[in-house]
Amino acid sequence: MRDYLHLFVNGKEHKISGSEAFQPLSTFLRWGLGATGTKIVCEEGDCGACSVLVGKLKDGKIDYQPINSCIQLLYQADLSHIITVEGLKQNGHLNPVQEAMVECHGTQCGFCTPGFVVAMCEYFDRSKSPCAQGIKDSVTGNLCRCTGYEPIIKAGLNVDMAGIVPLSELYPPAEMSKIFAKERSESVLIKTEDKTVFLPANLADAAKFKSEHSDAIIIAGGTDVCVVMNKRAYAPKVVMSFGNIEGLNEISVSENHIKVGATATLSQLEAFVKDRVPEFFHLLWVFGSPQIRNAGTLAGNIANASPIADTPPFLFVMDAVINLTSSKGNRQVRINDFYKGYKKFDMQADEFISSVEIPLPAKGEMVRLYKVSRRKHLDISTNTAAFKFKLNGNKIEDITIAYGGVAAVILRLPKTEAFLKGKQIELDVFHQAAELAVSEITPISDVRGSKEFRLQLAKNLLSKLFYEIKEGRIAACQQ
Amino acid sequence: MSAVGRDIPHDSAKGHVTGESIYLDDVPPVRGELLVDFFYAKTSHAKVKSLDLTEAAKVPGVVALLTHKDLLGSNLFGPITKDEIILVEDEIMFMGQPIVIIGAEDRKAIEAAKAAIKIELEPLEAILSIKRAKELNSVIGPTRRIKRGDVEATLKNSAHVIENTFRNEGQEHFYLESQAAIAYPKENNQIEVHSSTQHPSEVQEVIAHFLGVPVNHVVCITKRMGGGFGGKESQATHPAVMASLVAFKTKRAARIIFNKDHDMQCTGKRHPFENTYKVGFDKDGRITALWAHLYSDGGAYNDLSSAVMARAMCHIDNAYWLPVVDVSGTICKTHFPPNTAFRGFGGPQGIATIENIMEEIAAYLGKDPLDVRKVNLYGVGENNITPYGEIIFDNNLHEIFENLEISSDYSKRKSEVDKFNRESKTHLKGIALSAVKFGISFNTKFLNQANALVNIYIDGSIQVSTGATEMGQGVNTNIKQIVASEFDIEPDQVIVMPTSTEKNNNTSATAASSATDLNGSAAVIACEKIKEGLTELAAHHLASKVADINPSPSSIRFEGGFVFDRRRPDTRLTFKELVKIAYMNRVSLGERGYYATKGLDWSWDAGPEGTASGHPFLYYTQGAAVSEVTIDRFTGELKVERVDILMDIGKPVNPGIARGQLTGAFIQGMGWVTTECLKYAEDGTLLSHSPTTYKIPNIQDTPEVFNVNWIDKENSVNVKGTKAVGEPPLCLGLSVWCAVKYALRSVSGAEIPKLILPASNEEIVMRLAEYESKTAQKKPADALT
Repeated sequence: MRDYLHLFVNGKEHKISGSEAFQPLSTFLRWGLGATGTKIVCEEGDCGACSVLVGKLKDGKIDYQPINSCIQLLYQADLSHIITVEGLKQNGHLNPVQEAMVECHGTQCGFCTPGFVVAMCEYFDRSKSPCAQGIKDSVTGNLCRCTGYEPIIKAGLNVDMAGIVPLSELYPPAEMSKIFAKERSESVLIKTEDKTVFLPANLADAAKFKSEHSDAIIIAGGTDVCVVMNKRAYAPKVVMSFGNIEGLNEISVSENHIKVGATATLSQLEAFVKDRVPEFFHLLWVFGSPQIRNAGTLAGNIANASPIADTPPFLFVMDAVINLTSSKGNRQVRINDFYKGYKKFDMQADEFISSVEIPLPAKGEMVRLYKVSRRKHLDISTNTAAFKFKLNGNKIEDITIAYGGVAAVILRLPKTEAFLKGKQIELDVFHQAAELAVSEITPISDVRGSKEFRLQLAKNLLSKLFYEIKEGRIAACQQ
Repeated sequence: MSAVGRDIPHDSAKGHVTGESIYLDDVPPVRGELLVDFFYAKTSHAKVKSLDLTEAAKVPGVVALLTHKDLLGSNLFGPITKDEIILVEDEIMFMGQPIVIIGAEDRKAIEAAKAAIKIELEPLEAILSIKRAKELNSVIGPTRRIKRGDVEATLKNSAHVIENTFRNEGQEHFYLESQAAIAYPKENNQIEVHSSTQHPSEVQEVIAHFLGVPVNHVVCITKRMGGGFGGKESQATHPAVMASLVAFKTKRAARIIFNKDHDMQCTGKRHPFENTYKVGFDKDGRITALWAHLYSDGGAYNDLSSAVMARAMCHIDNAYWLPVVDVSGTICKTHFPPNTAFRGFGGPQGIATIENIMEEIAAYLGKDPLDVRKVNLYGVGENNITPYGEIIFDNNLHEIFENLEISSDYSKRKSEVDKFNRESKTHLKGIALSAVKFGISFNTKFLNQANALVNIYIDGSIQVSTGATEMGQGVNTNIKQIVASEFDIEPDQVIVMPTSTEKNNNTSATAASSATDLNGSAAVIACEKIKEGLTELAAHHLASKVADINPSPSSIRFEGGFVFDRRRPDTRLTFKELVKIAYMNRVSLGERGYYATKGLDWSWDAGPEGTASGHPFLYYTQGAAVSEVTIDRFTGELKVERVDILMDIGKPVNPGIARGQLTGAFIQGMGWVTTECLKYAEDGTLLSHSPTTYKIPNIQDTPEVFNVNWIDKENSVNVKGTKAVGEPPLCLGLSVWCAVKYALRSVSGAEIPKLILPASNEEIVMRLAEYESKTAQKKPADALT
């Protein structure tokens, strides 16, 4: 059992033990290493100023992704190579992204700039043919208050691609990969007076630990729980973080379903479903930001149990199955049966989510997902809705509906579903359905919208669905 | 090539992109440095019955717990009126108001101390709306008035009159770097404070006041801010005072860095306004008279509210001639944090009111709003006097309107929008052109002064120090280019130094868009003084090298890094050589320039019937924008499809930097009018206190097509022919709001559509639902006719 973290920052090796392991990555960088280029603004992953690249071992190489270092605990960075803004120069000179940001006035006050540079550098490391939309997508997780973004987009379009030295050349992976591969076979346990963190190397170790520490909270990506730690002084005594379990981040597809491992990130999922379930892909595109999706997981989105989580309505209408693991073995629960109240589930203290199985839409089935938020990107939803349905001529043969943001949990709308089954596709029918839908929900007023707004949206989304069906904008599954 | 007019990078850009630029919290702590935070009011209005710090004082690591009793000067301060209490005594006036300053060894001790402070309160009624403040006549200062002609009579004789109320909400600055300061105690009761402030002189003066020392005992230094936007004009003083008090009392360095949530909860915002108006107009939409009463929510103390109100009142005309007008302005005293400066400083709120009126007149008459705006534009040579009596001498609005209407393809696109709205069941489109005419200069005359220090070193390199502070807007780069151009040397030979009250005294805030105007002008004066000595010297030196000419200072030229006598241009010195000679010959290589804007005046009571009048502005920056939006009828999702901006900003010192101000201000304005919603609980708690819940524009919200241009026109009255550009384009964000309002016309029937500002998705959905239900109710009646 290892009792220290092993990581690299800008090519330099660090071994960390004791209480230091429990601080946010950003704090370690700024105060531990004096690397103050990484900026702290919101401490909740909503501005991107703290973006750094986290490189993890993948197929013998180091795969880099931008993440928000303020909502990433240092132990999550075990067996990683962190590149901060200080580590992006090429041979002591500005790299082409930095050069373009300077020349095109992509920076004004400069406080957000390191985050933008980090996120853009990853994009230009990855992308062979950059375009304006790609540039925007790469920095959706970064807020700038000065430039109006236009100069940043321009900078992106003016990057000298030929001058880019790949990250794999800037930081040759051979030595780090060897260390990561070797260290990963062993679980890590770090204990201080009042805190414990366990990084299991495999599921068996994880199950054993959970059976012995039923109070252990589990971190997959940490994008929710770290916010609570930062903002509400949440200080769990025992944490089990899954980042080192080999294979747990796999996503596979069988004939009729997709299986998503507990640590598969939403980014991985986004790429995986792009052609398989385009509608889900579009929803994931407006889920948080790249930095959030690079850390956050589907399992985490389920376990956080927020009624305004983006993915569950889709999982509800697809009737996804949650695989729970414990030292006693595995158990399956349908997501439709999983939630027992606000943040309460059918999950025992010794169990954890190890994977999620999402049935694929059957031939002829249509899926439509809506997310309504104040801002389209990098926002949390006010209302969500998922519809899975099948048409027969001008009739609705079957329909499943899940609404989010309208009660303490995600809701199916059984009355509305029953009413719509077998009905003609007419506006009046959908208007009647809307009246039924509002009778099935109990939204509240909060910062994201008033009760009245949410009720109106609950109705409107059915009208929207009607017009989209009418106008032939929703494609049926072909396979 | 002159250094002015060149597109060179921001002087800190390289540091920004590498993370090497230092902001306050990046400064390594010194030995013994303390962390500072404060225990603040969690209720909007209450009597303090008791405050018990006994337990808090016992917390290990707590070094200082300071209350109003520890202040060494009076508890009252304020940038205009000394009405603000910095540390609560017996009455809490707003949620977030500081009560106890805590200095401690670490964060943990601070949190423990906060938890251990016991306070007993007796709740009092909190005034949390303009409406309630009006009912209780809770106001700050007198109601001000600007008046021309007989409004009552003119309205009576007008063909049409609209009477309405228009509400625009506040806005959070959302500078990325939160409020911050570090104070270092010095010998003999002196103190050095590094502050993230737009106004080092005010920070200096306020600290001196609270420490009970003369102003010369305090040095305030500002290297840069991670954004300001007005939020660090008056309100950066609070953290600076807190750090200074701790440093002064403990003789240890003290650092305060607000976290984002506390920053948003405790500091003031853009003023919400609720304006009532009556506007008379003829059949063409030409305004005959405007009566308006502006009510702003000033928050608990005046702060800058009275100046903000002055600017709002001076901008209700915006680009339009109001022949007869009567505008009053009242500041409501509420129990919110004191609202403060925010880019535009009341201007946007005044302009929003009249731009809304333009849309309403057009809706009333069934006209194209652009036609209504055109008939109301200020004239050239006639109809060109503002309600407060200033003559507009450089009206370029007609040229801007004509060019923009064509370049944006307005007419064609508007008819496409109208057609789209007739056909689409799922979406609405809107298009609007709105204008800006923004007065440049501080409304308050005495603030229009600046000084600059220019030092040339013996290798010819130059340091410039002014009162301008750098918050990303590029003022340092502008000044660097202005100084380089004075000697016609390369800009990289000039460095603009951190702003320090030690170098420049009694400076004005970097505000009112005029930092380059004022400080650049002062720098030019300093350069001219140095040049005078250098010219005299060069004349003699060069003449001594050539047999047949006499020394002639007027023949000396500084060009391309050289100095020569124009009569013998081949005999030349490099600038560096001349500087060396000057030093050897004991000629001054450092000067201070002082500038005061000429010809300004403003009076609150010199106008008719004791109303306000004057000539508060040196000139006006002008412009217009056309925005097109698409709205999802069901979700209220708003997409800004295309924006065309055309402005008159004179000849910019640095076109790249000017352009960045245009795009940045526009998008910030767009945020104000769309997604940026400040949500409060009933007790005044701010619910949207971080980016998770307060949504400024994201890169994906930027318009697909974004054309940004300016007309090529030199401004004869300002330094290097430029015009100020920081605030005016923010007001053009209103074109997006106007486009939404226009879109709603297609569903509101005969009614003038109502729309609160911001036009959030919620506001849009609820307005659409309202109009659709009205249409549904009307249907049977329609069927009868």
